[in-house]
Amino acid sequence: MLLTPNAMSRRLRLGLYTTTGVIALFLLLPIVFIVLLSFGSSQWLVFPPPGWTLKWYGQFFSNAEWMEAALASLKVALLTTVFAVALGLPIAFALVRGRFPGREMLYGLFTLPMIVPLVIIAVAVYALFLKLGYTGTLFSFVVSHVIVALPFTIISIINSLKLFDQSIEDAAVICGASRLQAIVKVTFPAIRPGMIAGALFAFLVSWDEVVLSVMMASPNLQTLPVKMWTTLRQDLTPVIAVASTLLIGLSVLVMMIAAALRRRNPVSA
Amino acid sequence: MSAVLCEQQAKPLVSLRNLNKHYGDFAAVDDISLDIQDGEFLTFLGSSGSGKSTTLSMLAGFETPSSGEILVNGASLVNVPPHKRDIGMVFQRYSLFPHLSVRDNIAFPLAIRKRSAAERDRQVDAMLKLVQLDSFAQRRPAQLSGGQQQRVAIARALVYEPRILLMDEPLGALDKKLREDLQDELRQLHRRLGITIVYVTHDQEEAMRLSQRIAIFSHGKIVGLGTGYDLYQNPPNAFVASFLGNSNFLRVKAHGNGAASFEGQPLAMRLTPGLAEGQEVLLMVRPEKALALSAEQAAREALPAGWNEVTARVGEVLFLGESQTCSVVTHGGTAMTVKALSAAGMPMQPGDSVKVRWAVADACVYSQWAPSDLNKAAGAH
Repeated sequence: MLLTPNAMSRRLRLGLYTTTGVIALFLLLPIVFIVLLSFGSSQWLVFPPPGWTLKWYGQFFSNAEWMEAALASLKVALLTTVFAVALGLPIAFALVRGRFPGREMLYGLFTLPMIVPLVIIAVAVYALFLKLGYTGTLFSFVVSHVIVALPFTIISIINSLKLFDQSIEDAAVICGASRLQAIVKVTFPAIRPGMIAGALFAFLVSWDEVVLSVMMASPNLQTLPVKMWTTLRQDLTPVIAVASTLLIGLSVLVMMIAAALRRRNPVSA
Repeated sequence: MSAVLCEQQAKPLVSLRNLNKHYGDFAAVDDISLDIQDGEFLTFLGSSGSGKSTTLSMLAGFETPSSGEILVNGASLVNVPPHKRDIGMVFQRYSLFPHLSVRDNIAFPLAIRKRSAAERDRQVDAMLKLVQLDSFAQRRPAQLSGGQQQRVAIARALVYEPRILLMDEPLGALDKKLREDLQDELRQLHRRLGITIVYVTHDQEEAMRLSQRIAIFSHGKIVGLGTGYDLYQNPPNAFVASFLGNSNFLRVKAHGNGAASFEGQPLAMRLTPGLAEGQEVLLMVRPEKALALSAEQAAREALPAGWNEVTARVGEVLFLGESQTCSVVTHGGTAMTVKALSAAGMPMQPGDSVKVRWAVADACVYSQWAPSDLNKAAGAH
């Protein structure tokens, strides 16, 4: 029997839905597992969990080491965000507005950390900080994280800056505002979605960064992913699932904020 | 006599003196000198790349002249940054602040100048009334139509009472009907406020509709300056003649006092000093100043004194609503167009032999021209 075009497109659509569903499941299942396991009563991460408990959450929040690691992660991520935006903003302006030789090369240089394998950057930064005696400090964490977060921030700000009609800034200048006043009062509000998206990206990059952090970590200063990594090598406690859930939870929250901002401001970001 | 004296005594508000803007070897603005009178509505007219927008940018302060002077009331403006020039400007794409309401957009220049809230409110209210947007004060620019946005831009540019208002193709993005409405509003606004306006456009009809004087730009130079009427009726050169409206160009040979020959046939022309015997000159006749007569009409109506007549063959007759055009070719191969009001009628058919007549006084004479001057598209680099 021949299929009518309608039936065919219905079949096609069904096939597409199924494939998409399977892929989504494949991507999301590990996350769902981890979250479920963090509430499971089995000490051995048995699935499906024989019962439900908040015991592991209790252990996580009462353990000073975990709490310190979580706090360190938050501190590093926030500082990384601040510095990535503070540096990314003038860099993006220079790359978009600047008319100087080597501008393209400079753009390549700043976005290089997106392409270079993380391990290479990690080893290089580690070697440098070892020599300077900065390993295991908050400073070394933030500097190394800013290196990998900066490309995301720069690209995000560049995109909104390119969409911004510069004659709006010129209009502010002719109205009596100095160039700096015009940028602060008119250009910044216009590119704010790009700046916020850049900040969120920087936060996320730092928040779940593990390769650089393992290199920078010391017994007195380690971030949550590092603590998970080292704990994992000693024993397989469901507290790790708790840490993972919290890590994922904050990441999802940040992504949702970014998505909400994008919806409110579809042109930029 | 007294009028002439007055004009000599009147000091210009703005003077451009030998203004140049070079980008490498390229002269975007090439040695421009121009006086703009206080309260005048002057339009820079030219095709894109003719230097009109660059000149405006130098007036605003966004471009620095390579050399030359910009004087306002006799004081140099060249080293004054744009935000201290106290000039108003309206941009092509409105350029409103998207995150501010209409009211806050208009209040922006006053807020920057740290005027008191009471004064700010009073002036913004007056401006909203002036551009008839009172009921839109709380809207964002994105919630307004193009015409309304441009009115906000005009209000924002006028609220701090600048001496000079620059307008860079402000109506270019609007459709024809709306553009004409805003042109009328703008002309009335200029009359009411008495402000000096420098307007940039590539639309000659707009330039004619709005301005008291027009400066025609070509290749970074001002090639014509005057009222729209003078520039159209008596173009100073072949370029302006060809650029403004439509024109017929006839190559003739000058012979002595007001006489010439066209394709071997004798013609009369305006007395023009300094012409050599046998020199090639160009006659320019506007299509609506020429008449096309059928053989019978020509036989009936004798050629009036002070008129010329040439014989030609009709190529095409076009009906354009209120007017009709008839394109003809002379036996020497010169193409001409004759335009007449439809009411007058044009009883010719393609292939008919016609007599084309024009008054000697209506034909302009040019002794110097470049071939590209006769090309309508010329003017840009």
